[in-house]
Amino acid sequence: MAEKLLEIKNLKQYFNQGKPNEVRAVDDISFDIYKGETLGLVGESGCGKSTTGRTIIRLYDATDGQVIYDGVNVHDKKSKKDLKEFNRKMQMIFQDPYASLNPRMKVLDIIAEGLDIHGLVKNPKERKEKVVELLETVGLNREHADRYAHEFSGGQRQRLGIARALAVNPEFIIADEPISALDVSIQAQVVNLLKELQEEKGLTYLFIAHDLSMVKYISDRIGVMYFGKLVELATAEELYANPMHPYTQSLLSAIPLPDPDYERTRVRKSYDPANHNYQDGEEIAMREVTPGHFVYCSEKELESLRAISSSK
Amino acid sequence: MEKILEVKDLELSFHTFAGEVKAIRGVNFDLLKGETLAIVGESGSGKSVTTKSIMRLLPEHSSEFKNGQILFNGKDLTKLTDREMQKIRGKDISMIFQDPMTSLNPTMPIGKQIMEPILKHRNVSKSVAHKEAVDLLRLVGMPKPEARMKQYPHQFSGGQRQRIVIAIALACNPQVLIADEPTTALDVTIQAQILELMKDLQKKINTSIIFITHDLGVVANVADRVAVMYGGKIVEIGTVDEIFYNPQHPYTWGLLSSMPSLDTAEEKLYAIPGTPPDLLSPPKGDAFALRSDYAMKIDLEEVPPFFKVSDTHYAATWLLHPDAPQVDPPLAIRERMKKYPGSRYYEGTEGGTY
Repeated sequence: MAEKLLEIKNLKQYFNQGKPNEVRAVDDISFDIYKGETLGLVGESGCGKSTTGRTIIRLYDATDGQVIYDGVNVHDKKSKKDLKEFNRKMQMIFQDPYASLNPRMKVLDIIAEGLDIHGLVKNPKERKEKVVELLETVGLNREHADRYAHEFSGGQRQRLGIARALAVNPEFIIADEPISALDVSIQAQVVNLLKELQEEKGLTYLFIAHDLSMVKYISDRIGVMYFGKLVELATAEELYANPMHPYTQSLLSAIPLPDPDYERTRVRKSYDPANHNYQDGEEIAMREVTPGHFVYCSEKELESLRAISSSK
Repeated sequence: MEKILEVKDLELSFHTFAGEVKAIRGVNFDLLKGETLAIVGESGSGKSVTTKSIMRLLPEHSSEFKNGQILFNGKDLTKLTDREMQKIRGKDISMIFQDPMTSLNPTMPIGKQIMEPILKHRNVSKSVAHKEAVDLLRLVGMPKPEARMKQYPHQFSGGQRQRIVIAIALACNPQVLIADEPTTALDVTIQAQILELMKDLQKKINTSIIFITHDLGVVANVADRVAVMYGGKIVEIGTVDEIFYNPQHPYTWGLLSSMPSLDTAEEKLYAIPGTPPDLLSPPKGDAFALRSDYAMKIDLEEVPPFFKVSDTHYAATWLLHPDAPQVDPPLAIRERMKKYPGSRYYEGTEGGTY
């Protein structure tokens, strides 16, 4: 497979550490992201998927563990200069296109903020040209540069968010539920745009979402999170065809599909963590069941999962 | 089946500084007893405004009923006084809102909020209302209902809050329940629970439900009938099977094509081009014509009437006119039609012809 762009090793993010109300939002997860791929991260709200994204980009300081980007640990002490360079390579698109754009700034300034900080443009004329170019890339036009965010619809605002992220020529973009706030028909437009940009610029995405059908469509591989743990990781096709962890099975069985016949017969599985019956001292970890398909399980479960998958 | 609500030729406008926004431009539908009617369409298509006008929740100073009737048990809701409407609202017709975070009062214990409609509409004592509120909480699946009566909304999760909102809506056994995107803000697993809950409750108390959503998966799950709205009008209405397996309007085709399915690996998702029409000056003819690959000359000139597809299925598109050329819908739609015995693409053996 392609080279690793990002390695996440034993990443932990605890809030209120050591206090009675300690929350283990991200609890010892490890995975890699390869250059040029889209890794989808799914799970219900509160499972830690957004926190994972925010810790990777260093919006939070990790409690423990490493995020290695191109061979360098993101969470090491860094000089201002290194940090700035790192911030340029990694950008984020936020969930709420209404809250993530400053209502008192013109679109021109919103998009050019990154350019200014990183000194990527020399004069106002070049700055304007660059912003117009970005607006056109995301399907907006020149006139939009002098407007304010409230003059745009939800889908257009999300395009502005994408243009802002692209401004500094990043290599890696974390998209935190970029389409959840949009209408179905607009969702398709934004997802198509993200895919086109990926092909054009060779971007790598971490795509966080709870809409499982869109995630399958855009992702090469998908990770499933449950209560701060990564419970399953596989290619998109494999995960949907062959979900192995009972939580993944329950999550997939909950998706309603636009097909009334299927809906009449769909049976929802529920997941109860107690069903694992783990014994004391049993080591539970991510284990590779079939090539490229990892499941969070015990040694004993691994054997039975392997037996099931080889009998198929 | 018995009709419980009839909306006839409803037209409604908002008066804004920019001019008159024709938000609803002639909407007709019936709601039958015990059924679930789903209304789908993109933002601004008028689906929420339609239901808010049934509840008379629109601001009086800026909105105006231009024409039409909303008949509920023979009474025209558009003609009632505020006081008469208050007797119906929350009792005979109640509503579940999209955002459970903002539709509850943050400064009032949830028990008191559930008791409110009971005390208001029915002549019962506080202790009876309290007991009923506890029963309602139990009905919607809240653990330890007695203890939770005194808690405030912030002490509940999103899914639990939506259950509370449903409990309030059901407090007076309404004949019509309007659910405006009740699960959009929730996770799939919680969404599945809430949908199952609503279906169970519907069986128990035989309520009719109007379900507004833009998630076609949810529609396929809950609806008996579906109305597709675009540009302030219903463009297609039919049973859930007719809309999903034998859709006729190009807008319905576009909607169904823009959902990714779990089993196919399309290269590019279909996105309906362009933007919704500006209802300040609604387009002449078929409002969808400018975004449609199937538009004909007449679509830009004359509003298409409803053409009958079956006794339960109507679509407003000139494509159904006997003189219109026969066109093939997009591939994904033809695939759907192959499954449906009444469709001209049917590939089964039950011998259905178009």
